[in-house]
Amino acid sequence: MIADLRRIVGAAQVIERPSALLAYESDALPGYRRRPALAVFPGSREETVAVLRRLAADGIPFVARGAGTGLSGGALADDCVLLGLHRLKRVLEIDPAGRTATVEPGVVNATLTRLVAPHGLHYAPDPSSQSACTIGGNVAENAGGPHCLKYGVTMNHVLRATVALPDGEVVTLDRGDTGGYDLLGAFIGSEGCFGVVLDVTLRLTPNPAAIITLLADFTRLGDAAAATSAIVAAGVLPAALELMDHATIDAVERSIYAAGYPADAAAVLLIELDGAAEGLDGEADRVEALCRASGARGIRRATDPAERARLWQGRKKAFGAMGRVSPHLVVQDAVVPRTQLAALLEEIAAIGERQRVRVCNVFHAGDGNLHPNIPYDADDPDEVARVHAAMREIMERCIAAGGTITGEHGVGLDKLPYMEALFTPPTLEAMCSLREVFDPERRANPGKVVPVHACKEWHAAPSARAAGRTST
Amino acid sequence: MAPNDTRELADFLSETTDGLRIVGAGRWLDAGNPVRAMHTLRLERFAGVRQYVPEDLTISVGAATTLAELDNVTRPHGQWCPLLSWGDDSGTVGATIATATAGPFAASLGRPRDLVLGLECVDGLGRVINAGGQVVKNVAGFDLTRLMTGAWGSLGVITRVHLRLRARPAADETWVLHGDPAALDAFLRGPHAPLAALQLGSAASTASVASFGAVAVAAGADSVHRRLGLDPSARWLLRLGGNAADVNAAVKQLQQLGDCTQHDANIWTLVREHCAPPASATQWDWSPLARRVKHQFDPRGILNPGLLGERA
Repeated sequence: MIADLRRIVGAAQVIERPSALLAYESDALPGYRRRPALAVFPGSREETVAVLRRLAADGIPFVARGAGTGLSGGALADDCVLLGLHRLKRVLEIDPAGRTATVEPGVVNATLTRLVAPHGLHYAPDPSSQSACTIGGNVAENAGGPHCLKYGVTMNHVLRATVALPDGEVVTLDRGDTGGYDLLGAFIGSEGCFGVVLDVTLRLTPNPAAIITLLADFTRLGDAAAATSAIVAAGVLPAALELMDHATIDAVERSIYAAGYPADAAAVLLIELDGAAEGLDGEADRVEALCRASGARGIRRATDPAERARLWQGRKKAFGAMGRVSPHLVVQDAVVPRTQLAALLEEIAAIGERQRVRVCNVFHAGDGNLHPNIPYDADDPDEVARVHAAMREIMERCIAAGGTITGEHGVGLDKLPYMEALFTPPTLEAMCSLREVFDPERRANPGKVVPVHACKEWHAAPSARAAGRTST
Repeated sequence: MAPNDTRELADFLSETTDGLRIVGAGRWLDAGNPVRAMHTLRLERFAGVRQYVPEDLTISVGAATTLAELDNVTRPHGQWCPLLSWGDDSGTVGATIATATAGPFAASLGRPRDLVLGLECVDGLGRVINAGGQVVKNVAGFDLTRLMTGAWGSLGVITRVHLRLRARPAADETWVLHGDPAALDAFLRGPHAPLAALQLGSAASTASVASFGAVAVAAGADSVHRRLGLDPSARWLLRLGGNAADVNAAVKQLQQLGDCTQHDANIWTLVREHCAPPASATQWDWSPLARRVKHQFDPRGILNPGLLGERA
């Protein structure tokens, strides 16, 4: 089989050596490590389909991977074939007038925005990893980002996709608008379990005529959460509304990404308003008034694009900045109703104290999308246990508050333990039914997203090694 | 058959082998194909608001709740549900989601697929499925919400829907644009995005108009003008919403581009009732994948049999 794969993609694009496979042991969530049996990097759509067909012939499971920036352990290939798609990076078409772009899955998110910038357009979903993450990965995870508050997540921007099913069959999925099941909607966010994206047509968004970026700082974390809820309740729809707590500000300001956030603040809100220039100042005044009424100590407006970029860099690189705090980081992702934010943040703080871990909150407050992050040392078993205990408690609280266990990172491996707390057995079974439609042999990203024992008719997926892999 | 609650519906669906025609308010009786059903499954008891926290801008309602009721509940809080689908407000939320019927505001405010956060439904095996959730961002598990939205009840009977709401715009004006069809193209390339742009009669669509998602009412254009009480010279109907300064600036730009007159906003009620495009289920795409979906969720073929033109 390996000889066949080498024939398809070229010898250099098949990696077998354990030392070389180390690089693919984890995604951006370093707490999970699983060694792939093999890594294959096709260079074209045709090679991708040929690889899938070859794997199907021997019933071998595989896991697709983009840039490996995922935060749920979703692209870990435990004894499977890792199918890296980063070489598929052709931009097939940009239609500035129709405001669409068709790209291959390996195109980097920020690259697409850079390419369409001359036309006054951008690709709206902007995960913090956008300088590295791929469009294919974004589609697999239904990725979000700060500006999804106003502009919507990946789902709202995908018009069409050509995908290869796990058996290598190529199908075109669209939104079902013309009479059909919304199989595209089902595919987006399926975390690599339904097949592999070969190309995708995306909606591009006109750049706003005007942008106002505000930084409001607070002496109490709860006040920042209350201000968020007040802004949402008042019917203002900012393009982005981000919250960073003191621990995050501290990490950012000590790093090369220092953005000039007030170092003594308990929390800051980074609020961006955009749209037509007329009336935008008035909106900003309204937001300022709401922040002050909730107890904001100071508010500043970015006066030029450079200052705006600096404020945003601090937010987008906050995860990176936390690398200064400790060698490892658990990034969590949950959503609660926005009216519950203040209460939840208090509970998270109490959980952190109880478990003696340092929680850094940096998140999409306007969506209620929490990201409690815990820097820790993975070589300290006691701390690892406390981190996991804290995370479990936080997730349980979010579910109890009427929320969900992931807003944008996906379930992957990391959130599997919570799926049964969130969904009823018949609902999980229905998810298995949908998986059955796309991947009846369960070879695509096996063991992820839905706990296998929740599926009535689940059969153990074969291991790549058990399928007769021999070192040649 | 009119079940009292989800449990009763689930018990019934898990046992019956007869075809059922699913009815909310009975306004989508057919999608262009005859339903071959022994019984009618009436959902009128699944009506009413289940949960509404205005400050969260989300609402959860029974599927048989009408769009009019939804509007009555949200309006006092300065909010609206942008579903505002084709047809009148006596249609139900469940049917709107089941048929994914958009409306003239879908381009700016979102289609049903963008506005539904989650739903409860019972599939053809009698499984009670709680898809999605009630928060505005959610990627937990496979997306059964999208699958059920626009499936015309053929995979599951929707019993409850969780929706995203929006604040009503502070300023809301309706304008009729006469004469030059290029004027709207120029407007749409400007900074002001309208809530809706309706093309009255057929004209070549430009790329900007198409990418905005403007709705064209081409069939029998003359009678459209008559039904809406508009002068035959009317080319476009525009709804501008936002803060007052933004809308004022948009109107100024519109006036520079061409001949335009302000109109009563009630015209949109007429537009929704009289300008609906034909139902989208007549030419259903029965790809092999689609057949497999149907087999997984309704293997006995009891839900709206024949509605989507499927083979018996």
